[in-house]
Amino acid sequence: MTDLLATQMRKGALRRVLGDAGLSRGRTVLAVLTGSAALGSAVGLAAVAAWMIARAAGMPSPADLAIAAVVVRFFGIGRGLFRYLERLTSHDVALRGAVSLRVRVYERLAHAPAAHVLPLTRGQVMARIGADVDAIADAVVRGLIPMAVAVVVSGVSVGIAAFMVPLAGVVLAACVLIAGVGAAALTLRSARAAAALAVTADARVTESALSALEAAAEHRVWGTTASAEAELAEADAASARAHEAIARPAALAAAVQTLAAGLALIGSIAVAVTAAADGAIGPTTAAVIALLPLAAFEAVGAVPAAMQQLFRSARAAERIEELAPPSDADAPDHATSDSDPRASAVLEAREVSAAWPRMTPTVPVSLRVAPGEVLAVVGRSGIGKTTLLATLGGALAPAAGEALIDGAAVTEDDLGTVVAITAEDAHLFGTTVLENLRVARGSVTEDEALDALGVVGLRDWAVALPDGLDTVLGSGGGTVSGGERRRLLLARALLAPHPVHLIDEPGEHLDRAGREALRAALARLSGEGRSVVIVTHDLTLLDAADRTVSLDAVNSDA
Amino acid sequence: MRPVDPRLIARIGPARRYVITTAVLGLLTAIVIGVQALVIARLVAPVLAPSPLTEDGLGWIGTIVPTSARALETGVVWLAALVVVRVLLVGIQERLAHRAGVAVIADLRGRVVAHAARLGPRWAASGEGSTVTTTVTRGLDGLLPYFVRYLPQLMLAATVTPIMLLVVLDLDWISAAIIAGTLPLVPLFMILIGLVTRQHSAKHLEAMQRLSSRVLDLISGLPTLRALGRHRGPAGRVRELGNAQRRATMGSLRIAFLSGMVLELLTTLAVALVAVTLGFRLVYGEVSIETALAVLVLAPEVYLPVRNVGMHFHASADGLAAADAAFDVLDTPVARVGGTGPAPSLAGATLSMRGLAVATPDGRRHAPESLTFDAPPGSITALVGPNGDGKSTALLALMGLLRPDAGEVSAMLADGTSVPLDDVDADGWAREFAWVPQRPDLGVPGRTMSLGQRERAALARAFESGRPVIVLDEPTAHLDIEARTEVVAHIRAAAARGVAVVVATHEVELIAAADAVVEVASATAVTP
Repeated sequence: MTDLLATQMRKGALRRVLGDAGLSRGRTVLAVLTGSAALGSAVGLAAVAAWMIARAAGMPSPADLAIAAVVVRFFGIGRGLFRYLERLTSHDVALRGAVSLRVRVYERLAHAPAAHVLPLTRGQVMARIGADVDAIADAVVRGLIPMAVAVVVSGVSVGIAAFMVPLAGVVLAACVLIAGVGAAALTLRSARAAAALAVTADARVTESALSALEAAAEHRVWGTTASAEAELAEADAASARAHEAIARPAALAAAVQTLAAGLALIGSIAVAVTAAADGAIGPTTAAVIALLPLAAFEAVGAVPAAMQQLFRSARAAERIEELAPPSDADAPDHATSDSDPRASAVLEAREVSAAWPRMTPTVPVSLRVAPGEVLAVVGRSGIGKTTLLATLGGALAPAAGEALIDGAAVTEDDLGTVVAITAEDAHLFGTTVLENLRVARGSVTEDEALDALGVVGLRDWAVALPDGLDTVLGSGGGTVSGGERRRLLLARALLAPHPVHLIDEPGEHLDRAGREALRAALARLSGEGRSVVIVTHDLTLLDAADRTVSLDAVNSDA
Repeated sequence: MRPVDPRLIARIGPARRYVITTAVLGLLTAIVIGVQALVIARLVAPVLAPSPLTEDGLGWIGTIVPTSARALETGVVWLAALVVVRVLLVGIQERLAHRAGVAVIADLRGRVVAHAARLGPRWAASGEGSTVTTTVTRGLDGLLPYFVRYLPQLMLAATVTPIMLLVVLDLDWISAAIIAGTLPLVPLFMILIGLVTRQHSAKHLEAMQRLSSRVLDLISGLPTLRALGRHRGPAGRVRELGNAQRRATMGSLRIAFLSGMVLELLTTLAVALVAVTLGFRLVYGEVSIETALAVLVLAPEVYLPVRNVGMHFHASADGLAAADAAFDVLDTPVARVGGTGPAPSLAGATLSMRGLAVATPDGRRHAPESLTFDAPPGSITALVGPNGDGKSTALLALMGLLRPDAGEVSAMLADGTSVPLDDVDADGWAREFAWVPQRPDLGVPGRTMSLGQRERAALARAFESGRPVIVLDEPTAHLDIEARTEVVAHIRAAAARGVAVVVATHEVELIAAADAVVEVASATAVTP
């Protein structure tokens, strides 16, 4: 049932996502028109040139050719000119769509339940909103518009032929259909095979290559280098066999297109020569009909590539919908940016067990953190410490028990207003040190920032930076070390006004000096009367906490 | 940039065979296209001629297609045969292209992976080394469109274009002169436009990439903003930055598309000029109708491959960049570790490291610096010190997996002889060790396990291996308290068996169990 629903959801994902992109109808039509004019110029050039040669063969006065000569030259220029305009217009449409789509996806995510947003990894968000949105833009430029142009230009070519000799129109229409629809169907088969391949054979190649590369030293020590290389060769061979499923329909599609164009040429010449011999048409008409197919198939030739692009884009659209499911109505805004007026709050858990959907719930814990207290939650990795934190913060409803703030059940609205969570992989933005600290609170002054950095032992580091607090950090914190990153996140937490702080694995990547900084930060937070919960598997940090709750074997909150 | 990397042809067998086959197929295609044009001219000319055709209008080249093809029945048979041949050529070309592309990628991938493995962990940590995984996974796949789309068109441009030009020359030298005159203009103008716009587009491209990365950065921080309740503001900023990026992109596209326009303009206009010239010369009887038709059909075919090469230029750029990156790896010389003598058994041997120094990838520090210690059999040696000061590097050097910048690793064997690592085969030396790195890999099956599972499996493998030296890099980092105690017990048991254990760790419990604790420190590199 859910599978059926999922299939239904996926169907038309591209259409819905393109709808979200809000493509401008006028600009899209303009792009199709200019694109058709470009390829139409090639068809026009072939037709008028044929007419002109045929007319000239009758040795008329040169003046009779004057207009045709001008038209031929116009088509000669038109192709390049219109193509340039088409490319600009179509890219403009697509880029505008991509901007709207990004904003739409961002807004949906911002309004989505915190339980959906918090576990998202940077890589996921980046891939969906970066490459996948670009793929939607490509659906316009390389998929929809070339398809539309193929239909328009083929239609016009068929129209010209049919207007002159209906039978020639029928021949051309049949062949264009074979070339277009046949190639599209075969390409789709090829693309499906390629997609299946990507998750099986190609994934195996990637795994083998990565293992052979990244564990090269290990393979040398254990004497498994040769077998790792053999595994890669075997994976590549399996992938090559699987690639046949892609190559066969693709080659067939190319062959079908060539065949259809050839048949159209033979058919049109036969019709033209026969009709001319019967005296039904004059030599100029015969020439146009005979030579038209030579130019008319170019537009249809773009169909396989366009089809492939649409297929790729459809998959991207599915992934985008998975990340940010379309909501029926714009959900009401949950949390407000204004922080809660409360200066302090009591966090309490009564027999709370936490779980993400389809996860085994954690053992039930009870705890109470009053303002000025630091509580440590310990337990081995994978036991659910982070999940418990999300539940205490209101991002996730408890699987059992009650989580309370000041005696009232904690809700999603509390996250960001009363509760601040500092995740283990919290994001450092590609902006200045100061702006990164202002993520906690927009009004942070330079002095406050330096003070917070001082607590975590980064004051000297920040002052020594080329532009001090105005130094721009690389995106994702790539230009700071693991330890500096953790300390910056701690400084950010210090500046956040929230009365309750939940901090995940603050000791990770910290050496001795870093741990001292962490102790100082926790002391500052508790000194200011905040209620703090830290989660860690590092037992040396426990003396920094007033009390400890273990998820391995539950201690009662003494 | 060269259109074909000579190293591909010279060193990769499937690539060489493919290029040769494609050239032959291109030649056959050229012949088919030429003959088809002649047949069309034969077939259509009688319809257009005011009086019955008596002489052969196709000159010397016309002997290929006899005048009997002027009859509809004969001509259509000719055409049908040509269409069949062309369909076969296209189909074969596509199949071969795909197979060759897959084969070349597999071949290159295997070589690069094997060579990169020999280049060792130091190279892997360097700038080039860190990109090699991208090259062997996604990067090399860029060669497929290069082989399937670009190379065939390049071969057609090299065969069809000159041959068609020769045919036109034989038919009508004036048309040939028009074509020959315009053809060189295509690359000339594209180079000129490229030169004029290069600086401009580089600037645009940079602005575009900067804006794009800022949008992505903003969006990927959403979970963090949500956790602090600051997620509402940036939507407007996303739109603003997105629009700025769009404007920058359009600015660069307006210029980037110019060369495409010139390409199309020149090629189509030249065809138009040929047609118009032919028309007027027909009026004066300077050229026969059969010739005019053949040239009219051939003229676009001369330009088509050239235009397609221009269209698939990007496929070529990606593919060649990937091949280039691959050959760069292959051409990096392997830094030799060890010597030629047979590696001794290290059972009962005391390993010793004297004054070891290894420069960091950026070369600014030595981590470790002047590291000296002995690891006797039956004892636990703990390497301690801050992150990044070279504990893991020291372990790699001990096992002969990387070449230090200074210092020496040697072994005092059970029989009392001292053997420097520099004198013996490093592969054999490495195989005396049982090693558990920080993130053990365990090969392909291990990649589906969690880090904790892998660590436990790798530790089990090390303790059960029976090798005389066990080297552990932070073995307890991802384990819970019980498992940790168990690991310490295993380490003690191994030492009791006479194994030399060397362990890098922060763990208090492990340090307490060690017989010797060695402080590892780094230092700023002194430039010589």
